[in-house]
Amino acid sequence: MSKSDWNSPEAAKRIARRNASERRFKMIGLGAIVLSLSFLALLLVIMLKNGVTGLDWSFLSGSDSTNASVAGVWGATKGSLLTMGVTLLLSFPMGVLAAIYLEEFAPRKRWIEWIEVSINNLAAVPSIIFGLLGLAVFINTLGMPRSSPLVGGLTLALMTMPVIVISGRNAIKAVPPSIREAAYGIGASKVQTTFHHVLPLALPGILTGTIIGMARALGETAPLLMIGMRAFVATPPDSLNSPSSVLPMQIFLWSDEIDKGFVQNTSAAIIVLLVFLLAMNGIAIYLRNKFEVRW
Amino acid sequence: MILTGVLLAVFGLGLVGWFAARGRARLLYTGRGSMHSMPAYHGWHMALWILVPALLAWGVWSAIMPGLVEGAVFADPAAASLPTDPMTLGAIVSEAHNLASDPSATAFNPEARVLVEPIRAAQGRFGLIGALLVMVVAIAGGGYGFTRIRADFRARTQVERAVMALLLAASLMAVLTTFGIVGSLVFEAGLFFKDVSPIAFLTGTHWSPASTMGANINDNFGAVPLFWGTIYIGAIIAMIVAIPLGLMSAVYLTQYASGTMRKWLKPMLEILAGIPTVVYGYFAALTVAPMIRDFAASMGMQNPSTESALAAGLVMGVMIIPFVSSMADDALAAVPRAMSDGSLALGSTKSETIKKVLLPAALPGIVAGVMLAISRAIGETMIVVMAAGAAANLSANPFASMTTVTYQIVQMLTGDQEFNSPKTLSAFALGLVLFVVTLILNIVALRVVKRFREAYE
Repeated sequence: MSKSDWNSPEAAKRIARRNASERRFKMIGLGAIVLSLSFLALLLVIMLKNGVTGLDWSFLSGSDSTNASVAGVWGATKGSLLTMGVTLLLSFPMGVLAAIYLEEFAPRKRWIEWIEVSINNLAAVPSIIFGLLGLAVFINTLGMPRSSPLVGGLTLALMTMPVIVISGRNAIKAVPPSIREAAYGIGASKVQTTFHHVLPLALPGILTGTIIGMARALGETAPLLMIGMRAFVATPPDSLNSPSSVLPMQIFLWSDEIDKGFVQNTSAAIIVLLVFLLAMNGIAIYLRNKFEVRW
Repeated sequence: MILTGVLLAVFGLGLVGWFAARGRARLLYTGRGSMHSMPAYHGWHMALWILVPALLAWGVWSAIMPGLVEGAVFADPAAASLPTDPMTLGAIVSEAHNLASDPSATAFNPEARVLVEPIRAAQGRFGLIGALLVMVVAIAGGGYGFTRIRADFRARTQVERAVMALLLAASLMAVLTTFGIVGSLVFEAGLFFKDVSPIAFLTGTHWSPASTMGANINDNFGAVPLFWGTIYIGAIIAMIVAIPLGLMSAVYLTQYASGTMRKWLKPMLEILAGIPTVVYGYFAALTVAPMIRDFAASMGMQNPSTESALAAGLVMGVMIIPFVSSMADDALAAVPRAMSDGSLALGSTKSETIKKVLLPAALPGIVAGVMLAISRAIGETMIVVMAAGAAANLSANPFASMTTVTYQIVQMLTGDQEFNSPKTLSAFALGLVLFVVTLILNIVALRVVKRFREAYE
């Protein structure tokens, strides 16, 4: 009996071994995902267990305090909202306009390549470097007030803009050329074609990218640490120039407190932050599913 | 301030101009083909002629007005009795400015009160002049724009040229940011390297910037332990966690999972990437680090520290999993179908095809993805700030406390120090090193990915 005989016991054993290794490999793959997700589950469960009892109205409406039982999260939330407002107002128009230029108008020249390279690199620069930029330029050179939503928003806008440009370019690229040709065909100029036809069709994609970029900026701590947004702020900020904290910074500050009561506060603030992020990502997914057109 | 008010007036005027010009252009319309541009373009053209020159004038005046006010105040007789010492004079003038804008402000120098009236008068005078100037420019620009409205005037071409300028300016913002980063890092790091030799900084093994008493300042700024800590945590421990888990997740999701499973599991995995790093940091400090300390103690270690390289690295690795997974996903998807089909047709099982054909073929893409993941891990700040510790240790013991480049940047720049000491400036030198290293990793990785894609196209 030769070895290659499919009915021999050796062959059957070999096939069984190979099938077993196949099953093992598949299980390892599934195991990797399950392990990663169980880490996520563990993190969420621990935060919920520690924090959910601290989530009451006085926590949501209060500001920072040295007393854990009266400290609240509204001051930091308001600071986050102001900062995000500045970031959105700057990075969204800038990012969309730059994406339009690079995708629709830019001539194929050497210096245009520099713009593209620098945008791609900026998207990968560690966030703490943007903090150093904000400290050196906005605070030390231009003399803007430390620890203010204005400087925080500016710094995060520089960080978010490349993300919006990249997602904007992909959304614009996905609009088929036939749309443009139809507009040219009835006599529209290039600018008219872009702003009246291409941009509205690309907008859902651009908005999805913008929301994801904003969610990243909302959770960012390191660059804001650089520009001094770690002050103890007991009253919600009332202007773009007044000292303020933001949600992730509040989490960081409370995590350093020795008082046991702050463990609950930190976890509760984390729940608030995660709820915001989940809502933003949910909106982004909804927009993508609702408006995205497959050409 | 009158100058803020005039800004609103200019925008109001622009709006009025838009409607006026559009209305005027509509009157010119006599039938198909009688005009070059649509009336709204005449409106935009006019609005631009009002806004752009007026805003430029506003900007120039806002820039030179403080100097003019200063000059007028010092020419005032009240300023004659002031001390000539520039330090005290500066303090008095800035206090007087505060008092002028907010009468309830406190002033430590009594002389400041004397200056309040001259400052108010000068500000009022020059503010009024500036406001009038801006309004005149706006009206002149608008008048010029209005006279150009004719049936054959190419308003659309003009407006589109302005739009192009705006688009280009927005794109140049990215280049400006890059220059800003490089410029500020190089400038501040240059100040640091005036005091500390770059060679001592890059090769020294002793890091204790707080002890300024040392005989030689060069001995206190050896950054090698920082570089080691960064590599050990970000490029070794984190990658030992992230590469197998991320790679196997990608293999399972792309090769084995059914459509619905993939649709559910992939977004769930991506939640891991969306969790803010400060949350990971807190989780590492609160849960993972004590667990690792207890484990180390049970292994028989003497006094294991709560802050350990292992805790930070583990959590960082988990954070990077979705990133590695999606890069590996792309790399696997780029391998032509024919390669795996060929292998399957020869009788190899799916797992054999993946191990012997798919993964080797996708290797360049996976390596590039890992490089990007490392560049992300070494730039990560909050996890190491909250879990890794401050002690600059040159050790291979994962249970030891270890510090990183990003941790030290934060350490040097928070708290109250004078800005120009070598200690604070060292943060910028560390930032420069971090920027250059991540830049090189990114450029090399993107180039590898590009070449890899081309090879299979």
